[in-house]
Amino acid sequence: MIEVKYFGAVAEKTKCEFEKLSFSEEISLQKLLQNLNEKYEFESLTFSVAVNQKIVSKVADYTLQTSDIVALLPPFAGG
Amino acid sequence: MKESTRYNRQIILPEIGEEGQLKLSKSKVLVIGAGGLGAAVLPYLAAAGVGEIGIVDDDTVEISNLHRQVIYKNSGVGKSKAEEAKLMISELNPEIKINAFSEKLSGKNALSLFEKHDIIVDATDSISIKYVINDTCLLTNKPMVYGSVFRFQGQVSVFNYQNGPTYRCLYPDENSNTLNCEDAGVIGITVGTIGLFQANEVLKIILGIGEVLSGKILVYNILNNEQQKYDFEKSSDFAITKEDYELKYNSNENQIQEIHFESVLDEIDNDEVLFLDVRNIDESPKITLKNQIQIPLMNLEKEIEKLDKNQTIYIFCQSGIRSKIAIEVLQKNKFKNIKSIAGGALAMKQSLQEKIHSN
Repeated sequence: MIEVKYFGAVAEKTKCEFEKLSFSEEISLQKLLQNLNEKYEFESLTFSVAVNQKIVSKVADYTLQTSDIVALLPPFAGG
Repeated sequence: MKESTRYNRQIILPEIGEEGQLKLSKSKVLVIGAGGLGAAVLPYLAAAGVGEIGIVDDDTVEISNLHRQVIYKNSGVGKSKAEEAKLMISELNPEIKINAFSEKLSGKNALSLFEKHDIIVDATDSISIKYVINDTCLLTNKPMVYGSVFRFQGQVSVFNYQNGPTYRCLYPDENSNTLNCEDAGVIGITVGTIGLFQANEVLKIILGIGEVLSGKILVYNILNNEQQKYDFEKSSDFAITKEDYELKYNSNENQIQEIHFESVLDEIDNDEVLFLDVRNIDESPKITLKNQIQIPLMNLEKEIEKLDKNQTIYIFCQSGIRSKIAIEVLQKNKFKNIKSIAGGALAMKQSLQEKIHSN
């Protein structure tokens, strides 16, 4: 099970703050993001991606492990 | 210290003491934005005895601000936020120096403002200005204490602290758009909470206590009280030079890019300036000046080595449109003293004829 946390405007799109997803085989971070994008249509939203509390700078190279916690962190602007 | 009891309750903290209080009184903090975040940051910094506080905001107080920007009064509606904030916090602590800057922060005024302060607090409500603050902090080597809010959630971090990661390392995409408080909605407690986290980071930096939120972003949700910290690393891709900065923000005040040919008529025989014709070879009227070179716009990038980056270059085309594009091409290649001639060759021909007649 991979847990995904959503913040800010991303959570408004997903209408939940986290969810647990299971995959029958190994999945890359990039593939997971593609799946989520198809499901939720993030469109012009930008966000940084963290795995296990660490921001991943190169999403393409990252293979997820089953107990990983992913977080999508969009920038906030209000002040 | 004139009023020795004012700071007594914090001085008796072993982490602060007389020495820490002295550090506070010698520090200079610039707070950009006197909105919801600023309304929390400002009174706490002032009350703690930060020696000099600058407040930058070009807005006026609106009645719809008062539910969350709690330093303002109903009677302040319509008045300058920077001035009203100054009034409020100087009543709170008249021992410190407070400067109000009722102006909009941009690449033009940021450098001189930042240079006069030790720590920069980003209490703004726009993404694009956060990049200006980030880049100016990088250039002036100041820490940026960042806070921002989306509805019931907030983010806090300290960028560029002792050469640590920057805002661009976390959010490289400058074109991201997201809602501010006015559009998304907000309650005062969210901005107040996040503003207090920012004020806390400022004091920690000044006092050298605790762990500064450098290379970490804290995300707080006031609805479920969940708090998360995420680590991020510095990327070397986002270094910035003074030249990059000037080009990006057009901060060089004298940079007027378009001139009238009349104003440079005296220079047509000057060996130190070059007139660059970016029209195609077959275009007329022909202009023949002493120091002139013709490179059609489409070849400009290819033949750029024919030009000297430090020479004054006046660029013209037929009517003054292609020459502006040429300016952009040359600016990208770090040319500095370049101007486009308004009206192009047609206007120049006329001026030259008038000059001959008047002689």
